[in-house]
Amino acid sequence: MQVYTTDTSSPQSGRTKVGIADYAVSSDQSTLTTSGLGSCIGVALYDPDTCVSGLAHAMLPEIEPGGEPAKFADSSIELLLSEMEAAGANIDRVVAKIAGGSTMFDFTSANGDGSIGDRNVETTRETLARFGIEIVAEDIGGSHGRSLELDAQTGDLRVRSAKTGNSVL
Amino acid sequence: MNLDVRSLRTFSRLAHSGAEKAAGSLTTLAGIDTYVNVTKVELGTKSDVETEFAERDLVSVHIGFNGGLDGRTVLAFSPESAERLVDALMPGIDATDADGELAASSLKEVANIMLGGFIDGWADYLDTSVDITTPTYVEDDDSGPLKEIEASGFEHGGTDEHVLVFRNQLEAADNAIEFDLYMVPTPDSIGTIVEASGEDDALPVESFAAFSEMVNDGANQASADITSMTGIDTTVEVSRLSFVPIEGVPMSLTDAVRRGVVLEFSGTPSGYIAILFDEPSAENIASSLLPGMEGDEAMRQSAIQEIGNIVTSGFLDGWANALETTIDISPPKHVHDLGSAIIDPLATDLAQSQEYAFLIDSTIRTDDDEFTCDIYALPDETELRKALEQLSPAA
Repeated sequence: MQVYTTDTSSPQSGRTKVGIADYAVSSDQSTLTTSGLGSCIGVALYDPDTCVSGLAHAMLPEIEPGGEPAKFADSSIELLLSEMEAAGANIDRVVAKIAGGSTMFDFTSANGDGSIGDRNVETTRETLARFGIEIVAEDIGGSHGRSLELDAQTGDLRVRSAKTGNSVL
Repeated sequence: MNLDVRSLRTFSRLAHSGAEKAAGSLTTLAGIDTYVNVTKVELGTKSDVETEFAERDLVSVHIGFNGGLDGRTVLAFSPESAERLVDALMPGIDATDADGELAASSLKEVANIMLGGFIDGWADYLDTSVDITTPTYVEDDDSGPLKEIEASGFEHGGTDEHVLVFRNQLEAADNAIEFDLYMVPTPDSIGTIVEASGEDDALPVESFAAFSEMVNDGANQASADITSMTGIDTTVEVSRLSFVPIEGVPMSLTDAVRRGVVLEFSGTPSGYIAILFDEPSAENIASSLLPGMEGDEAMRQSAIQEIGNIVTSGFLDGWANALETTIDISPPKHVHDLGSAIIDPLATDLAQSQEYAFLIDSTIRTDDDEFTCDIYALPDETELRKALEQLSPAA
C-alpha cells in the first residue's frame, strides 16, 4: 500500500493519482484522481469547511486477517478517515460521494451473495453509516466502468464513463 | 536456477519498495511528484528485452551493479518524457540541442541517484554490499540493455536464454513524464536471491521458460489466424509472462476506451482472457469481415465476437496440447469500455483468493501500428503452478 499524501508545503494545486487498492488525502486543494473502476468502489470524502478531501479505490468488500487494508472497502474508509482527521478534517462535517461497484460480467465463480460490485457498495454503505457519514451523491452499479476526479476545492466528483458520458456528482 | 511463488513475491516487494525509494529521490531532487504505477517481474528471453528497447525508441541511462549482486539497471524514457524531465530539472536548457550534453548529464545525475537508491534496498535485503558503475547515456538504442554487460555474467547462453526483468512503471502526472526502471540481474544473482528467500519447492526456471514459449506459440497462432481471416498482415510484437501484485493488473492499462471480448477458460489452469482492440482497430476488423456493413452496431459486435473466438482458440489450443489437458472456453462477451475497467473485475475476482497474479500479455499488430490487438490472460495462480509442474523437465 502506498499513501500519497500531498505535500502541503507545495503552493501549486496539482493532481494526485490514486492507484487501485490505494487511497490519498489532499489538504492543499489538489485534485485526486483514480481510473478504471469496474467492480471496484471509489469513495470520495470531503470536509467542506477545511477542504480536506480523500479518495479511496477499493477492490473487495471486507478485510480478511492479514489483508492489505487499502484493498478493502471497510478498512480503506477507516484509514482514509483517520488520515483526513490528522490533516485537519472534522469527521462530523465529512460527507461522502460514492461511485463504481458495477457488475460487468456474470462469472461462474459468483456465489449466492451477489456480485463483488454489489457487495462492495453494500459494505461501503454500512461502513460510512457506522461513522455517521452521509452519502450525498452516488453513481453506482450498472455494467460499465468509471474513472473519477475529486476536486478538493469544491468537493465535486467528476465521473467519466464510456457508456454514459461525463457527469458531476 | 529455480523459482517459486514465494521468491517471486519477495522480488516483487523488493522491486516495488526500491522503485518507491527511487521515486522519492526524484521528488526530493527535482520537486517532481513521482509515483510507482506498476511493478512487474517478467520472464523473457534476452532477445525479447533487446527488441523492446529497439522498438520503443527509448532514451536510457544504464548503470551496472556488482558485488553481492551482479547485473544492470536501466532508466528508460520516451524522448518526449526525457525532454520534459530535463526541462523540469533545468528549466531553459534545450534538451534537443545538437550535442545535448547538458541534458545527458542531468539525466545521468538523476539515474545515478534513483538507481543507486533502488539497488540499496536489494543489498540491504541480502545483507551484502553492491557497487554501482558510472552511468552510461544511450540515445539511439542500437546497443540493447544487455549488450554492454556481456562480460559480467550474461555471456553464457544465446539470445534465447531466459532472464528475469524487474520492470517498474513510474509516472509524474503533473509533468506528463512516464518512465520505466528496469533491473536485470545475472542468472547467478537470481540464484543468490532465490536462495535468500529460502523456499524449497521451487520449480526450475525451465518450466517457466517452457510456459513462456507456449504463450509465444499461442500468440503467433492467434496472429496467423487474424491474418488469414481478415487479410490484415499482423505479427506478434511482444508476448510475455509476468508476475504482478493483483491490483497492478488493471493498472497496466490506461483508461482509454477499448473494444473487445472477455471470456473465461476452465481446466488446468482456469482463468480469464480479455482480447482488446483500440477503436480504430475494431473498425478495421468490422470493415474487413463485413465490408459495407460496419456501420451497424450489432454487426460490428458480432464481428468482434467472431474474431475474439478465433484469437482465443488460436491462443489457447496449444496450451491444452502442451499441458496434456482440456481447456474449455466460455462464449465471448462483447465489451466496449474503459480499458482498465474491463480488466478490473477479472483481477478482482482472482483477488478473492490470491494477492499476486501471473499476467500473460501479448500484443499483435501491423508494422504500421494501424492495427493492434492486446491479449491479456489471467490464470488462477494455484492452477498455473500445477500446469508449470506438468512442464517441468522432470515431469
